Amino acid sequence: MTNPTIPGVLPREVHPEIIPIYDSDTSDEETENTIGNVPLEWYDDFPHIGYDINGKKIMRPAKGDELDKFLAKMEDPDDWKTVEDEKSGKKIVLSKEELEMIRKIQGGDYADGYDPYEPYVDWYTSDVMVTPLSAAPEPKSRFIPSKWEGRRIMKIVRAIRKGWIVPGKKKEEKPRFYALWDNDDEAEERPNHIPAPKLPLPENDMSYNPPAEYLPTEEEIEEWKKLDPEDRPKNYLPKKYSSLRAVPAYDRFIEERFERCLDLYLCPRVRKNKFQIDPESLIPKLPDPKDLQPFPTSLAITYKGHNGRVRSISVDPTGQWLASGSEDKTLRIWEVVTGRCLRIWKMEESITNVSWNPNKMFSLIAVVAGDTVKLINPLVASNEVQHNTDEFLKPQSEIEKSKHAEWINPSTSEAKNGIRQVIKFEKNVTYITWHRRGDYFATVSPDAANSAVLVHQITKRQTQNPFKKSKGLVQRIQFHPSKPFLFVATQNFVRIYNLVKQELIKKLQTGVKWISSMDIHPGGDNLIIGSYDKRLCWFDLDLSVKPYKTLRYHKFAIRNVCYHKKYPLFASCSDDGNINIFHGMVYNDMLQNPLIVPVKIIKAHEITENLGVLNCEFHPIQPWIFTCGADGNIKLFS
Amino acid sequence: MAPMKKKGERGAAANYITRNRAIKRLQISLADFRRLCILKGIYPREPKNKKKVNKGSTAPRTFYYVKDIKYLAHEPILEKFREYKTFAKKLKKALGKKEFDSVKSLEENKPEYTLDHLVKERYPTFIDALRDLDDALSMVFLFSTLPANDKIKYKTVENCKRLAAEFQHYVVISRSLKKTFLSIKGIYYQAEIRGQDITWIVPYQFSQQVPTDVDLRVMMTFLEFYQTLLGFVNYKLYSDMNLIYPPKIDIKKDEGNAGLTAYVVETSEGKDILKNIKTKPEEKEENVDKEKMKEYQERIKNLSENMNIDNEENEEEEEEEEANEETNDIKFEDQGKTDENEISETDKLIKETQLRAEFQKLFENCVFYLSREVPKYSLEFVIKAFGGKVGWDSSVSIGSAISENDPSITHYICDRPKQDHIFLHGVYVQPQWVYDCINAKKLLNTSNYYPGETLPPHLSPFVKLNETDYNPEEEIDEDEIMEDSEEVSGTTKTSTEDSEEVEDEEDDDDEEDEDEDEDEDKEEEDKEDENKKLAMIMMSKKDKRLYNQIQHSRNKKAAEVNKLKKKKLALQKK
Repeated sequence: MTNPTIPGVLPREVHPEIIPIYDSDTSDEETENTIGNVPLEWYDDFPHIGYDINGKKIMRPAKGDELDKFLAKMEDPDDWKTVEDEKSGKKIVLSKEELEMIRKIQGGDYADGYDPYEPYVDWYTSDVMVTPLSAAPEPKSRFIPSKWEGRRIMKIVRAIRKGWIVPGKKKEEKPRFYALWDNDDEAEERPNHIPAPKLPLPENDMSYNPPAEYLPTEEEIEEWKKLDPEDRPKNYLPKKYSSLRAVPAYDRFIEERFERCLDLYLCPRVRKNKFQIDPESLIPKLPDPKDLQPFPTSLAITYKGHNGRVRSISVDPTGQWLASGSEDKTLRIWEVVTGRCLRIWKMEESITNVSWNPNKMFSLIAVVAGDTVKLINPLVASNEVQHNTDEFLKPQSEIEKSKHAEWINPSTSEAKNGIRQVIKFEKNVTYITWHRRGDYFATVSPDAANSAVLVHQITKRQTQNPFKKSKGLVQRIQFHPSKPFLFVATQNFVRIYNLVKQELIKKLQTGVKWISSMDIHPGGDNLIIGSYDKRLCWFDLDLSVKPYKTLRYHKFAIRNVCYHKKYPLFASCSDDGNINIFHGMVYNDMLQNPLIVPVKIIKAHEITENLGVLNCEFHPIQPWIFTCGADGNIKLFS
Repeated sequence: MAPMKKKGERGAAANYITRNRAIKRLQISLADFRRLCILKGIYPREPKNKKKVNKGSTAPRTFYYVKDIKYLAHEPILEKFREYKTFAKKLKKALGKKEFDSVKSLEENKPEYTLDHLVKERYPTFIDALRDLDDALSMVFLFSTLPANDKIKYKTVENCKRLAAEFQHYVVISRSLKKTFLSIKGIYYQAEIRGQDITWIVPYQFSQQVPTDVDLRVMMTFLEFYQTLLGFVNYKLYSDMNLIYPPKIDIKKDEGNAGLTAYVVETSEGKDILKNIKTKPEEKEENVDKEKMKEYQERIKNLSENMNIDNEENEEEEEEEEANEETNDIKFEDQGKTDENEISETDKLIKETQLRAEFQKLFENCVFYLSREVPKYSLEFVIKAFGGKVGWDSSVSIGSAISENDPSITHYICDRPKQDHIFLHGVYVQPQWVYDCINAKKLLNTSNYYPGETLPPHLSPFVKLNETDYNPEEEIDEDEIMEDSEEVSGTTKTSTEDSEEVEDEEDDDDEEDEDEDEDEDKEEEDKEDENKKLAMIMMSKKDKRLYNQIQHSRNKKAAEVNKLKKKKLALQKK
């Protein structure tokens, strides 16, 4: 049956009721659609939908355009119940039965005609049978009232009689509030209770009409907005309103109250004593530097002449002459008082260390340049001393050969210049130090592994290696001023050896990263070290192996530290161009700790190429200090 | 050998308990535990050494005092919680079975709990309760302005409104309001009750949006406790003033949005105290004054006892004082002559009381009329708290005692630049004038506050200025800022000063002398600076750090002050 108004619209076929017999299977029935169970849109690009049994294309039923659809909607009374069959693309009008089925499904009802409320078929009837199944008589309990129920009821009756239960009684209305705090005497303090801190009170900038200076600028607003809400110093931005009428509700009011609630019950509380201290009281009270004079305070003389960094200076034991070695490969002798340069020696390599023999009988300088050490008579002392020195260093024909260092007699031209002895080493030497008697001296060449520390004797022209094994990178060594001890400073530790017994006495734990310099108090019981990590440590050898005091005041690495021989003074010089002078009093009383008072900070040298003051040394007699720096100058402060 | 000590059984480890362990011990859910903690006022503690408590770990964990948790275990409310849980189960079952009879009987016997004992437990004395009233008041005032919905019950909002109004009434009657502040967040009030400063904030009355990330359950639990607390506090405050609690509510006025006037506060003799105040203000005032005087007298007495004055005359005089209170001013003066120390102390106290009494009567002789656009909820309270009379537009609410054309009106408070009709017998001022008067403790000149005028800045009365703090009322000049910047940056000498010195040398001798003096001063300062620098070398690391911290915070503060000053100066120049 076709719909006469619209082409291609067929009424929905009504199938007969299926009778469940053998032939009822319809799976082999011919269907119009031959494409199988595939989506129809696969044929969207074709004019046909599948093929019929003869291999002819089954053409797609004509599809009306929008106008047709509209006309159908307007004119066809069945349009609302017309659906498209997905498989064949045909339009089908739903029958009355199908519509009913859809309605039922939508209403949550059974789709087919199943009736869940069929009248109940009473299989076992309630009708009394003529012959009962049991002949037993009704039990007595059926006729008498329950004992337990009776007891229960009696209980209630008794309660009502005695007035315990008043039926139908309404609850008494108690006054909600009453005098709670009338007897305060029994009040009990909560143990260890920490009351919640009150919220801070509002400041001027929270006003609705604050002074104009409180209002943030554009940049400040931007900055405030950029910050995380937690990082903001204040959770609001000051704002000005022309009148009270213009003030809106604060949008974070409830949030802030909520945060306060959270703080009250979630924040761990701890009592913290807010102590009000005057920061000035933290600064220790020290004796006035004025009372601790003399100490060097001002620049007296500048010794100019070197063209390179002055690496090392040394003052002659009489205090008249000053020797300086520089990276311009020259050794210069200065007269201390006048600042006149007396003599210049030219070396092959830049000079790393200069040291004057401490014995007043001799006038002798040890100069370290690269891998050679030269012993020079500067020819400035009195004739007697010069004679002594020359006698002392008279060239010896038989020189014992050492495997670590080679003693070489100077050439004649060198000898004329005052060079009395040349010692050649395997590796570069960095430091030289004299024994107090002036016969022995020790050298450090850190690269030379187990022969890093060598002790030399002039009279015998002999070199000894006191250590069989290297114990780290040796930085400095020094002889004890009175005892036969040798102090060896490696990178982190200072070891003290007894040279006679040949044993380790002490190992000082400095706690610094890299020791740069060391000096021993003339008394011999105290020691200071300077380090590249800006620290200065004072050791009291009787007290402990750990520093008595560690000070950190220089901005850059400490280059040298030194004690004064006579006065209770010590100084440190650093790459920041400063020298710090301290009063360091050591008492004879064993119970009294040394007194350390900083007395002066002197800006000594300019910083050139990150290097400031390279060396400093006190005058042996006067309270003066010599410094040399990377700017090529030597200065005397008095 | 002594028995081996087990770790975590003694000392700090045994004193603290983690939250999870506490919950396990109490056998309640986390939600119940939180509620219980809020109601009981139990909070986590920060142990001194976390490692000792936390089995050697430093992981962040909240710790409670074991004693606190034990104290929770014996809480009767805990039992009520459990009862309520079973009740809820039963109710659900009965509802599911549609057994409405049993639902009804269940509802009748619903377990209820009160928080009365908790108030007493948490605040053993009344003063303790007053001290902790800030948060309670702020919350109650906030919820009194919120709209009721399914989470915030209508009953709760009504109760909050009532409690807030009752408290405001007390403040009005006792004249204990001290400070007010209009901030961008809300209006701050501070009242002094029994020597305790109580500060609370009231939001501007606009509809509030409850943010989604706010857990209202937590806030409601807090509110539950705060309502009880404030109720008891109000009861105590009212009954101590011989007033009936709760005050009656005039339903008609309440429906007409009358606010404070809807409450009828009566004394125990049955007089309407508010009316009394209005008709005969002096009488009540005197009562208050007398009470106050008595209090102060006792304080003075204690003071003199403390000072160990064994002067018989004094004692006699004191007895006399007790006998006749009215003439005590003169007596104190006499006493003052005998002891100079006493003079200042007693005089100070007397002066204080007088000033306070005057301050309390600030608006005594003023009659205010509020126009539509001003916040009546705040102004009515504030004006009444200082003895003023208020009337308002009938379109705002009913119950106004004064109509707009009443000739007794002295101040019209309005916030519009233009008025429809101007009455000549009163002054038209903006609302800020009232608040500024209270903070200044005197009636200010109204000329700055006329409608349409640019208002003077409204400053916070809570700021206590130190010397180093920024005072916005102070005049500043440029030199000051320059100096400050020097201090901040730490430089002591500038090139300009050096050049000045050179120029000065050519000038008169006198000036040179001055210069020398200055130089000497400078030298001394330099020397001191140097000595300080030297001494700082010897500071320990700890001290140095502390010192630097203090200096850093000071510098920061100074920089802030300086910034404000610079800004002000720039504004002045414009």
